[in-house]
Amino acid sequence: MARLIRTEKEVEGRFEEVWIVVEEDPLEQWPEGPLAVVGRPAPRQDGHQRVRGEARYTADIRLPGMLHAAVLRSTYAHAKVQRIDLAPALALPGVRAAIGPGEAHGLVEEAGFAGAPVAAVAADTFAQARAAIEAIEMEWEELEVVLDPDAAVRRELLTAEPRSYERGDVERALAEADVVVEATYRTQTVLHNSLETHQAICEWQGDMLHVYISTQYIWGVRQAVAETLGLPEDKVRVVCEFMGGGFGSKNGPDEYTYVAAELAKRTGRPVRCALTRREENTSAGNRNATIQRLRGGARSDGTIVALDGEFTNSVGWSGWNASTEGPMRMLYDCENVRTVTYGAQLNTPPMKAFRAPGFVEGTFGLECLVDELAARLDVDPLELRRRNYASSNEGTPYSSKNLEECYRRAEPHWERRHEVRTRSDAVWKRGVGMASQIWYGGGGPPSYAWVRLGSDGRATVITAMQDIGTGTRTAMAQIAAEELGVPLGQVDVVLGDSARGAYASISAGSSTLPSMGPAVRAAAADAREQVEDIAEQRGMPKDTPLEEIVAVLEESQILGKGARGPNPAGMSVLTFGVHVVEVAVDVETGEVQVERVAAIHDVGRIINPLGASSQVEGGIIQGIGHTLSEERLLDPETGGVLTSSLDAYRMPTIADVPEIVCEFVDRPDEHLTNLGSKGLGEPPIVPIAAAIANAIRDATGADVHQLPISREEMLRALREADERARVSEKEKRGAPAAV
Amino acid sequence: MELLRPSSVEELDGGILLHGGTEVVPLLREGLLTADRLVDIREVVPRGIHDGTIGAGTTLAELEVEPAIPDALREACRLAASPQLRNMSSLGGNLLQATRCWYWRLGYRCRLQGGDRCHAREGEHREHAIFANGFCASAHPSDVAAALVALGGRLRTNRRELAVEELYRLPDEADRSTTTLESGELLLEVELPAVEASTYLKATDRKRWSFPQVGVAAARHADGSTRIALAGVAPIPWRIESVEDLDAATPLPRTEWKVPLARALVRRALAALA
Repeated sequence: MARLIRTEKEVEGRFEEVWIVVEEDPLEQWPEGPLAVVGRPAPRQDGHQRVRGEARYTADIRLPGMLHAAVLRSTYAHAKVQRIDLAPALALPGVRAAIGPGEAHGLVEEAGFAGAPVAAVAADTFAQARAAIEAIEMEWEELEVVLDPDAAVRRELLTAEPRSYERGDVERALAEADVVVEATYRTQTVLHNSLETHQAICEWQGDMLHVYISTQYIWGVRQAVAETLGLPEDKVRVVCEFMGGGFGSKNGPDEYTYVAAELAKRTGRPVRCALTRREENTSAGNRNATIQRLRGGARSDGTIVALDGEFTNSVGWSGWNASTEGPMRMLYDCENVRTVTYGAQLNTPPMKAFRAPGFVEGTFGLECLVDELAARLDVDPLELRRRNYASSNEGTPYSSKNLEECYRRAEPHWERRHEVRTRSDAVWKRGVGMASQIWYGGGGPPSYAWVRLGSDGRATVITAMQDIGTGTRTAMAQIAAEELGVPLGQVDVVLGDSARGAYASISAGSSTLPSMGPAVRAAAADAREQVEDIAEQRGMPKDTPLEEIVAVLEESQILGKGARGPNPAGMSVLTFGVHVVEVAVDVETGEVQVERVAAIHDVGRIINPLGASSQVEGGIIQGIGHTLSEERLLDPETGGVLTSSLDAYRMPTIADVPEIVCEFVDRPDEHLTNLGSKGLGEPPIVPIAAAIANAIRDATGADVHQLPISREEMLRALREADERARVSEKEKRGAPAAV
Repeated sequence: MELLRPSSVEELDGGILLHGGTEVVPLLREGLLTADRLVDIREVVPRGIHDGTIGAGTTLAELEVEPAIPDALREACRLAASPQLRNMSSLGGNLLQATRCWYWRLGYRCRLQGGDRCHAREGEHREHAIFANGFCASAHPSDVAAALVALGGRLRTNRRELAVEELYRLPDEADRSTTTLESGELLLEVELPAVEASTYLKATDRKRWSFPQVGVAAARHADGSTRIALAGVAPIPWRIESVEDLDAATPLPRTEWKVPLARALVRRALAALA
């Protein structure tokens, strides 16, 4: 039965109170451990399609008569359009339409960053559209440019009110602590660099708008486009069959969608608007830089008594103030915590969610601080984490938490540190570091799925969700196959089209599996119950195979319907984990090599161990890039992005990938849905940077406080550690330290 | 745009010369190079190795597995770019590649683009030069060029013979070019003297597809002399005589880190030759 509830909805660590209609979720969870299909490794069902080039991505779509759009972007970091003349563009060959500021949602008159979209042209070819963009005549009024986040905070140039949090009495606790560590950590801006750039193709058929788009949220795009264009939602059809990466940057439509829709309307032709790689890296979002001024206090017995953090997010021209303080609030059982988080509004490209936004950055600061505390206290870092284990989320019970079990499983990897260190020589220093992970990932309602069964014994799961490349089709097919009691190969999954299925969750915030999986299981269970009814009426024994029962259906079909039930009331649904990293550092050249990563994650029941390992590996590789080599650089004068190409922006290559060992606690969360599964998209990128930095400290004694840990930063930290060692050596010898 | 495929040097008549296309095609796409006529020179430029002479059309992929060439060149080829790029790119094209300076690549009106300032000097320059960076702070990206300079290679073009290091010149107010190549001049072959030992070491920020942060080529020649040439430290391949020469570096604020890095690599390279 459906009921209306008021609930807290969480996406990417952002909460809102909403009313939603939910259906009860009466199914008992399956028993723990591998079942017939669920819990067993399954290769991707669409793997062959992808590697043969048969999978149709948005970037592959070419509609008959389709035009190509190009977007004129501001080269100023802050300027206002004084005059714009589109006529010279319209006069060029192949050009069909041109629009300026205000003529499509997202085309702006005041550009707040270099790369802001201002005008657009549709032409027969992309080359013609680009040439036409060059011909547009513009006059700009330049405005003041602010690029320094600290200056923005001082001047109260903020994207939102500062967010403050306090429990206990931090100042008193710091004053009474036996050891206090204070440090400033900085993280850089990094770029999503999805393989498929942001793009959409819009086509009007009568009053119906068809939107083919590379997106993480078909229904969010439908809703936003309908609202912005003043259309009924059912007059917007959104299609995304295969998707070439999003990582949080494709949660909604952006100017390219509205540009395509408007130009399509004006020309009566389908219009494709696809960002180039350079546009992707200037205008499609980023993980914002942070400055974290942290203090931590502990008693000599290892109790962390105070955590204090001032966080500045360099949000950019627009975007939101991510929870960089989240890990400090939530990871440890600490009585006195105080945080304030500023969102600096700068004339730089806007941030967008990027795989655990805020928590990746905040975990780097916090988990490095905790290791510095451990060093000062002379307590083993793993032991210090155990001593400050949180047993509730600020008083709210966890739906499940097995971080202690993660620590237990981390022990053999952590024990390797003694042997790893002995493999150091004069040049290469080796060490081991660890960091813990906390993040959301519980998903939530509403989400729906249907299951259709025919007389051939095959089942089709139908739901208008998207597979953002994480193996969703396979996991959903496994869940349906398990519930129906049929082999995996007998289940097809149809998704990716708002006109062919019911509402489905966003694929962000590690929510796809925990939101959609239970709905798919419920739909399969509904179908199975109908099949059992038929069997009973025909007097067939209970163990009759499904194929035999449905064989009598002929043209009749069994249609099962399922919905995601509510989240457990009064409980915190969170994911946990720990990484243990082995590094080697060349102390003469500053080269850092990550040699081994052991990742142990607690995300409830694992549906597909192969897909889950693949997620963990991907998160770690992306995290290694964040930690060691990636950085978006701006020209300090113009605010223009300098690293907008794939050769200038250094993502790791496959040769940079270390040995990765994945382990899962794999215990269903008994309070969460009919599956007990949480999401795994984001957790593996959360702890890796801190674990690498802590391993570097273990190897070399150098404190790195800044990402990326480039050779420049590594050599600086080594030099600083050398000087510190020299001073303390002098002190030991009784000589006065240099002042 | 027309594409010509001449079969001899004599047929060459203007246009943009194209071999593997790994540099020219991106430059065309970015609008940094414009061409009405592309000339595919793969039938014109010699390819392969014959008696110590290497055709300028030989690909880096062919060189990296070639036992007959000195270690420094083989290593420089192996550590360059990515396997896909090395399969396409020619030795001659590699020597003539343009700077990776992001300002230049983005079409800023810098001195190399005919403008009146070096944006990198006051701007973002953490990958830039530590020598000869007063006029233009770009860092020469070719691993292969540094190796050939250290090896004392000689080039034959359709017009002259010259030492590899004579191919390069520092840009100045009057002439913004970083090479001495004349219009219509084409690299044909590289001749390498026999050396006793050689090596190439390269620091990068990822293991593949990375231009040198600092590259160090060193070769011990038959006369007992050692030649050292660096990539990634000056607008052109940069020769030094000894590790002490690095004391004379003039780094920019954010290229200071390259000096100790270069020192470490030069020491290692010399130790490897000993």
